[in-house]
Amino acid sequence: MIQLENVVKILGTRRVLDGVNLEVRKGETLVIVGPSGTGKSVTLKNMVRLMTPDEGRVVVDGMVVSEASGKALESIRDKFGVLFQGGALLEWLNVAENVALPLREKTQLSNDEIMEKVMEKLAMVGLEKDIEKFPSEISGGMRKRVGLARAIVTNPQIILYDEPTSGLDPVSSRMIDRLIDHLRNELGVTSVVVTHDLHSALSIGTRIAMLTNGKIIELATPEDFVKSQIEEVRQFLEAQFITVRGEWEKSGL
Amino acid sequence: MGACRNAGRAIILLAEALLCIRYVLTRRSRREAIHQMFVGGIKSLTVITVVAAFTGMILALQTGIEMRRFGQEVYIGAAVMVSMLREMGPFMTGLILAASVGSAIAAQMGTMVVSEEIAALELMSINPVRYLVMPRLVAMMIMTPLLSFYSCIMGVVGGGIVGMTQLNVPWAAYIDNAIRFAANKDLFVGMLKAFLFGMIIVITACHQGFATTQGAVGVGNATRRTVILSFLSILIVGYMITRMFYV
Repeated sequence: MIQLENVVKILGTRRVLDGVNLEVRKGETLVIVGPSGTGKSVTLKNMVRLMTPDEGRVVVDGMVVSEASGKALESIRDKFGVLFQGGALLEWLNVAENVALPLREKTQLSNDEIMEKVMEKLAMVGLEKDIEKFPSEISGGMRKRVGLARAIVTNPQIILYDEPTSGLDPVSSRMIDRLIDHLRNELGVTSVVVTHDLHSALSIGTRIAMLTNGKIIELATPEDFVKSQIEEVRQFLEAQFITVRGEWEKSGL
Repeated sequence: MGACRNAGRAIILLAEALLCIRYVLTRRSRREAIHQMFVGGIKSLTVITVVAAFTGMILALQTGIEMRRFGQEVYIGAAVMVSMLREMGPFMTGLILAASVGSAIAAQMGTMVVSEEIAALELMSINPVRYLVMPRLVAMMIMTPLLSFYSCIMGVVGGGIVGMTQLNVPWAAYIDNAIRFAANKDLFVGMLKAFLFGMIIVITACHQGFATTQGAVGVGNATRRTVILSFLSILIVGYMITRMFYV
C-alpha cells in the first residue's frame, strides 16, 4: 500500500534518512520504533509529502507521492488521516468544530450529518461530553484523543500516528492502543505508528520496524522482534525491561 | 540573495492570497474576515486615536509657532490636513498596525507552524493561504484605509484643539482652511498608501510566520522580523507613492 524506495532525506548537513526501504501492507499496523532523532517522524512526513525525499521515492497505491502536486497530491492525502504528536488542534475552534473541520471544508454534508459523524467519532475516543471545550481547556491526553477523532472522521484508508501515547498516563495510553487495534480489526484501516513505547508497539503492531541512524535495521513481527539478535534492538528492548525467556506471547489489549 | 528569495516568496504568497479572494464571500471566509476586521481594526482604535490626535497636535504646534512669526498661523489647518492626508495618517496607521496586528499574526502563524497545525491543515487538503491568509488580507485591505481616514480626522481635531488653545486660531477658521486646502488627490493617495500598507503588513507577517523554525525562539524571531520588515517596507513604499504622485 505504501512503499518507501531508497528514501534519503537530508536536514541541514545531517542525513536523517539514509536509503530507507520499507513497505506498508494493506490492513496492517506497522510500528516504527527507534531512538530520538533517528528520523521516525521524518519518515511519516515523507509518506504524505509534508517533506519531500532528496533521493528515492514514496509510492502510495501506485501513485508517486514525492512527485505528485495539486489535485493528485490532494487525492493521495485524502486517503490519509494523521494524528500529530500534540494533536495539532486549532486553538480558536472547540472540540466539536476541530473534529468537524475536514468535513466542513471538504464535503457538502449538512450540519446535522456532520455533527452526527463528529459525535460518533468523539464517542469512540470517549469525549462526547466535552464537545464545547476549547483545546486550551483540555489535557494533553484529551487533545490527542480529539486529534485522533479528527484523523478518523473522514474514514481514511490509512492512519499515521506520530507518538500517539507519549506523555499519556498508562490508562489513556492503553485506550489509544485499543482504538488503533479496533480500527485495524473492525474497519481494516492500515496504520503506521511511530512510538518509543515498545510495550505499546508489541501490543498493537503486526510488524515492527526499528530505525537507527537513518536506516531500517530490523523489520519483524512482534514475536520475532523480541527475539532479535541485533545489538541495537536488544539494547532498546532491555532499556524498556523487555526480556524474553522461552516463548513470548502477544498480550491482549 | 536571501533577501531577494524572501521577497520573491512573499510576492508569491501575495499572489496566491489575491487569487483566493474569489472565495471571500463563502460563509466561513466572510465570517473570518469580519472577525479579523474587528481584531485588527476595531481593537486598534484606542491607540490610533491617541497617536493620531497627538500627531496632529504636534504638527499644529510646530508649524503654528513658525507661522506665527509671519502672522500666518491661521493656515495651520491646511498644514495639518495636508500632512495627515498625504503622509502622517497612513504612515502612523501603518506603523501602529505593523507593531500590533502584524506581530500578532506572525506569532500566531509561527505558533501554528511549530505545533504542526499548518501541517494538519495541509493534510486535510485545506489550503492555509485560503483558510488563514486571505481573510486577514481582505480585513486589513479594508480596515487600514478606514483607520487611516479616521486617524486623519483625529489628527485634524487634535491640531484644531492646539490651534484654539495655544495659537488663538478660531475653530471655524481652522476647519475652513483645512477643508479648503484638502484636495481629492491627497485623500486618494493617502488611501492608496494605507491600502498597500495593509497588504504589506499581512503578507510580511504571514510569510515570516510560515517560515518559522526552531520553536519558541523561532516564533520570537518571526515576530521581530515582521515588525522590522513592515516598518522598512512602509517607509520605502510610502516614499515611492509620494514620488509617483507629487513629483
